[in-house]
Amino acid sequence: MKKRRMWAGLMAGAMAVGSLAGCGGGGASTTAAPTTAASQTETTAAAAGGDTTTAAASGEQVTIKVSLWDYSNTDYYKTIFSAFEAKYPNIKVEAVEASSAEYDDLIQVKMASKEDFDVVFTKGTPALSALVAKGHVLELDDYIAQSGIDEAVYSGLTQQMQLNGKTYAVPFRKDNNLLFYNKDLFDAAGVAYPEDGMTMDEFREMAKTLTSGEGSSKVYGAHIHTWASNVNQYARRTEEYDPWGNDKSVLLPYYETILAMQNEDKSVMDYGSLKSSSTHYSGVFYNQQAAMMQMGTWFINMMLENADFNWGVCSLPNMTGEGNTKAVGGVTPVSIGAYAKHPEEAWKFIEYVCGEEGALVLADCGIVPGYTSDKVNEIFDALADKKPGIPENLSKYIDIDTYVIEQPMHPQGREADKIITEEHDLIMTNSISAADGLQEMTERVNEVLGQ
Amino acid sequence: MSEAKKGSYRRKKTLIAYSFIAPNFIGFFILTFLPIIFSFVLSVCEWDAGNTSQITFVGLDNFMRMAKDSTFKISFKNTIYYTVGVVPATLILSLLLAMLMNCQIKGRTFFRSVVFFPYVASLVAVGVVWNALFHPDNGPVNQLLMAIGIQNPPRWAADIKWAMPTLILLSIWKNVGYYTVVYLAALQGVPSELYEAAKMDGANGLQRFRYITWPMVTPSTFFVAIMLTIYTFKVFDLMYITTQGGPGRATNVLVYHLYNQAFISLKFGYASAIAMVLFVIILVITLFQFQFEKKFTSYL
Repeated sequence: MKKRRMWAGLMAGAMAVGSLAGCGGGGASTTAAPTTAASQTETTAAAAGGDTTTAAASGEQVTIKVSLWDYSNTDYYKTIFSAFEAKYPNIKVEAVEASSAEYDDLIQVKMASKEDFDVVFTKGTPALSALVAKGHVLELDDYIAQSGIDEAVYSGLTQQMQLNGKTYAVPFRKDNNLLFYNKDLFDAAGVAYPEDGMTMDEFREMAKTLTSGEGSSKVYGAHIHTWASNVNQYARRTEEYDPWGNDKSVLLPYYETILAMQNEDKSVMDYGSLKSSSTHYSGVFYNQQAAMMQMGTWFINMMLENADFNWGVCSLPNMTGEGNTKAVGGVTPVSIGAYAKHPEEAWKFIEYVCGEEGALVLADCGIVPGYTSDKVNEIFDALADKKPGIPENLSKYIDIDTYVIEQPMHPQGREADKIITEEHDLIMTNSISAADGLQEMTERVNEVLGQ
Repeated sequence: MSEAKKGSYRRKKTLIAYSFIAPNFIGFFILTFLPIIFSFVLSVCEWDAGNTSQITFVGLDNFMRMAKDSTFKISFKNTIYYTVGVVPATLILSLLLAMLMNCQIKGRTFFRSVVFFPYVASLVAVGVVWNALFHPDNGPVNQLLMAIGIQNPPRWAADIKWAMPTLILLSIWKNVGYYTVVYLAALQGVPSELYEAAKMDGANGLQRFRYITWPMVTPSTFFVAIMLTIYTFKVFDLMYITTQGGPGRATNVLVYHLYNQAFISLKFGYASAIAMVLFVIILVITLFQFQFEKKFTSYL
């Protein structure tokens, strides 16, 4: 029984990856991809308003080099890129991809050797900050001003991606963290659904009530994945916690709650156990082994494909009673490389993929674009009609005015983040008390950030 | 043949010989030797992997920094811990196994393959399987320990105290096969008449080992010790695959720290300085072992 569950989890995980990659049609092989993309070109271009005639008239053919990850197994990239090529027939997009796991390290080294990438995708603000600090990406303020982009459509994210008052990237995707919950498990336990503005104590109590069973058939009240963000995002959303700030003790009540859930209530799986088996969070939730889970909005897309139960989302619990007024999460920034041969065309590309056209393709896949608009919201609200079980009010949780970026821009952010992860590891494995761990975290982070 | 002709003939031969070495040597020179020299230079400089014109000389600053770097100290200790845990145990175990395999037992070739197998298995696969075997809650190892009455079995890689011993165990199991083969070859080179003569003189098994086997395989022992020491000091892949240096910094070793400094923090100067420390340690240990070898194998 246990084995079968584990396998089911593994399979679900594998399927999740497949569906994430494919946005529904993940089976396409690499060789078949170009034709698929080509056939999609027409449909998407037509869908985007058929304005293929507005192609730039300069006539000269240029190829822009775009650095990113997971290109060949992510269909929405191909859809967006070929729609862009259809709109601008004189610009060809050459995607240069690297493996997702090594991308952050690789792009730093590649840019250091002055690769002539026109467009550079980064996996988040720490990697972007490092590129900015070394002067590997261009300032975009003039471009943004020229294009007359209203930055409000990016929920203030362009400002948050500034370093020394200059903007270096536009958000392609954004993902805020939400509490996903399994309505069926709540109904079975006769517990009312969680609501926005829940306190940490309420969260703990709720998880305790929902926990039932023993051994392999045990249902956990909540699932806390192994990332440090699965604890600190509760406090980051309320802006109590700043990862680069010089006092981490604000996290203490949060760590104490989660540790009590793990060590005393046993209402969440053991951290060390999860880490040793590298358990993917998705399987735990798909198999209905946990009733609640904090995860980013990318999980919406995965749930669409894999969940066969009723589910819902609400904002993260916290100590201050903050409701659904703030969102916390990360971004996928897009920048122009400092050694670009065609920066003008690169900007056109960024404007397109991070604009309404790119956003609609992403939203169709259940992926939250950096760009916010009513049309995007409508698509998210319409997801509920696709399949039973999907919540109806998703747009309420993706279109939030105050968007707190989980890791603010900082040149040494990557290094500090590693320390936060190490200390999180020690606290969660009970190798060190939460108070001592946070003390050590504070000291070590301050040391590398020179505070 | 005149002297001059002889000279040109020899030169020609030498050139031909060089031309055969050249492809390998050029590759070694460009891809190994130059980077080593470069890293010597970098160890007294600061560089963020950007333009080479940004390399700035900082003297011994990088080495001074180590004294203040808590992760360096921890990873240094961990490396020593790992070496002490792996080298003697692997050496003794592989000699014992080799002696067993050298006996006339049934299915000898089968057992030899079994022992050698972990060495050829991919480290990535082995790492994943070990994580499953030693899983703190559901792993067969702990299930077995609980079945025989141990209430709180170690939490292995999930425990700060047990993580390193777990990796040491894995390394020994993985590498013992290779060194067994090295010892096996050495044992087969021991002339059987020595044993026969010893038997005639009434030497028992232990004495035969002490006075024949052990001295005769000493050169192999030095080889094994040196190779193992070098391997354990430069270990990186194992930690990268299984624990990522965790929990906390419990399995962070020198090369893992070096990797993080170079490729996460882009401090290539500091990373090179760590590489220099590693280089000096390995050099000293190896020279020391060479001296020992000369002294202890003079009878051969």
